[in-house]
Amino acid sequence: MKTTMSTLPGKAAIAGIGATEFSKRSGRTELRLAVEAVRAALADAGLTASDVDGLVTFTMDTNSEIAVARELGIPRLSFFSRINFGGGAACATVQQAAMAVATGIAEVVVCYRAFNERSGHRFGRVSAAAAAAPTSNGIDASWSYPMGLGTPAADVAMFARRYQHVYGATSEDFGRVAVAGRRHAAVNPNAWFHGKPITLEDHQTSRWVVEPLHLLDCCQESDGGVALVVTSAQRAKDLPHPPAVIAAAAQGSGPDQFVMTSYYRDDLLGLPEMRIVGDQLWAQSGLRPGDIATAVLYDHFTPFVLVQLEELGFCGPGEAREFIAGGAIEMGGRLPVNTHGGQLGEAYIHGMNGIAEAVRQIRGTSCNQVGGPVLVTAGTGVPTSGLIVTGPGID
Amino acid sequence: MNSIEAEAGRLKALGESEPRLARDPVNEPMINNWVEALGDRNPAYPKFAPPAMVQVWTMYGLNGVRDADDPLGAMSKVLDAAGFTSVVATNCEQTYHRYLRPGEQLAVTTRLSDVVGPKRTALGEGWFVTTVSTWYVDDEPVAEMMFRVLKFRPPEPSGSVLRPLVNQDTEFFWQGTAKRELRIQRCPDCRRLRHPPGPFCPVCGSATPEYVLASGRGSIFSYVVHHHPPIPGKRLPVVIALVELEEGVRMLGELPDVPPDEVWIGQEVVVDWSRVDSELTLPVWRARHD
Amino acid sequence: MTELPELKIHTTTTFVVSTALATRDFQDVHHDRDAAVARGSQDIFLNILTTTGLVQRFVTDWAGPEALVRNISIRLGVPCYAGDTLVFSGTAKRDGKDTVVDVVGKCSLGDHVTGTVRVAGT
Repeated sequence: MKTTMSTLPGKAAIAGIGATEFSKRSGRTELRLAVEAVRAALADAGLTASDVDGLVTFTMDTNSEIAVARELGIPRLSFFSRINFGGGAACATVQQAAMAVATGIAEVVVCYRAFNERSGHRFGRVSAAAAAAPTSNGIDASWSYPMGLGTPAADVAMFARRYQHVYGATSEDFGRVAVAGRRHAAVNPNAWFHGKPITLEDHQTSRWVVEPLHLLDCCQESDGGVALVVTSAQRAKDLPHPPAVIAAAAQGSGPDQFVMTSYYRDDLLGLPEMRIVGDQLWAQSGLRPGDIATAVLYDHFTPFVLVQLEELGFCGPGEAREFIAGGAIEMGGRLPVNTHGGQLGEAYIHGMNGIAEAVRQIRGTSCNQVGGPVLVTAGTGVPTSGLIVTGPGID
Repeated sequence: MNSIEAEAGRLKALGESEPRLARDPVNEPMINNWVEALGDRNPAYPKFAPPAMVQVWTMYGLNGVRDADDPLGAMSKVLDAAGFTSVVATNCEQTYHRYLRPGEQLAVTTRLSDVVGPKRTALGEGWFVTTVSTWYVDDEPVAEMMFRVLKFRPPEPSGSVLRPLVNQDTEFFWQGTAKRELRIQRCPDCRRLRHPPGPFCPVCGSATPEYVLASGRGSIFSYVVHHHPPIPGKRLPVVIALVELEEGVRMLGELPDVPPDEVWIGQEVVVDWSRVDSELTLPVWRARHD
Repeated sequence: MTELPELKIHTTTTFVVSTALATRDFQDVHHDRDAAVARGSQDIFLNILTTTGLVQRFVTDWAGPEALVRNISIRLGVPCYAGDTLVFSGTAKRDGKDTVVDVVGKCSLGDHVTGTVRVAGT
């Protein structure tokens, strides 16, 4: 384990957040969504396109940095970067931006993610393109896709079945994550499922997608875009909103790592890549799990929310079902999780909407206000990333 | 009443087909061939014919053509046209009134007894077609057979199976499946087995991996039952199992023949082969019952 | 209740082919491996007339030449491919003047055949 002290904490902050509406059919191009989100984030930060000198997105994003820069009229970029591994990239885009800002490579970096994931290319379907990619990832996919395991839900279900078998977790334990998310989304006007909470019975009676996952264990598919403006903590203090200071930012990939199918490790019970992220977050921030007020845990599928609680140290291995059974992850609980409704309730914007919620918690503007520090995670089952954001008072 | 039931009713009402004579009378050479092939040393033969041979005497043979009034043939045509194109025999019950001796000339008639469906079965939606055949020597009925088949519609897979990418690091595996060999990469130096394979040994760094043949036996480490969305080339729901092989490595594959609610973690399986085409054979798992 | 001695048959390719022909069953899936594979089977497999004959043999091997087989009633399960081993087991009980034998024939894929055989005499 690396013991060198990171110089990143406290150097950068998220000063602006922006998003399009979240829908099932945006009716416009992904580039238009990206640019709308970036413009909204810049307006939120009180900055203009000419202030931007860096752009970061996901390798999966279809909108090139130069196309976004052209549409915005950004005259000069000194930093542009992309992060691999699907939703695992979300918090790492902010880490990239923070590192660029902390090292003086760039002053204002915008992280963006925009897609028509529901009305266009749907990630929940079997992707023949992913299976045929002429890369090492395509070779990796050859051990699962031809055998009939070819959707993210199926990949997670394989893990979830083993987790249930060893720890005695039930479908209802997974369902409590969905119930909490939908309860939070119900009071969020921007959430697709605004005003539509569910019961555990709704979850149990929803159709099978891939056993042991019901439909309501799976996040939505959404059209939309989210952008985040990252600048120095110093500069952020002079901007309109209280800065969400980046107290820690980390990436992680574990032993014998695959994309969604890390089935060849000794056990199939944890997310070692998330533990690697968590260890760095605690080391960088000096915080402990008990210090975290709110968590935004990546919820493409409910079982991995339980595992993240375990890997991040909020409870012991196999204990998440007991941890959440008492309502700990709902408003008023020990650790409210996904107060915006998560990707189960608000929208699936590849984790970027969760980072925006963390910023609202720091600002005090969430629909389900709790406060900071806030821990955010990115896609699970893949190499991933995480953040801890705090108010300007903590450094 | 739908057209299948209507046609079944019509065929049932026709009753027995015209008697069809056996090509040869009951005879010692064919009895001897039969007992030799089956290894039956019962000394009652060939003075008598083995009773289970009764159907043999009236088989159509190599170039035979089914009689136009054969009710199973007629009913199959109707079901084929309705899309129930696959067939599997499910039950056979033979009753022998007496033993037959060489020299006796048999004739057989068949009638349609029942057509029941549509039923949902593990193989797909289908109809159970039951016929009753009676063998006569002159006017004397000597044996009867109830024969039931399931005519079913194989659920249509959408598209064709996604094909693996194959490169120099992985071709040994797919060359193996083509020969119905399950190959596991092995490091020649530290002997570590590894799946999925790669160009180096991640433990000792050896760059010249070889492979060993797996026994093909293992147990289910985890599994899923996939309902949605469609998977190219697969009939849903489909069980996909992550199997831990005896040798210690894990491997994914379909478990085609076990109903989803009869699968469990720890279940013993053995590899089998699903030939997609001349270029691709996939490993699949079968439940082991030994 | 009497347990019958086990009957083990190695269903070699030769066995599958010679029994198919001895029962005058010329369907290609019982003698042509390429054709069987092309139809989705893993190999050629035993035909039903042979299965019925083996069930009868299993019972008469035990009951002896005096026993008269009155009825064979079978349910067909998984295919028995060339190269497999088919193992018959059974239990016999009296039913009036007859003896009824419950028979199971298992191969590596599971139950190939289950059924009952009614014999008279002895």
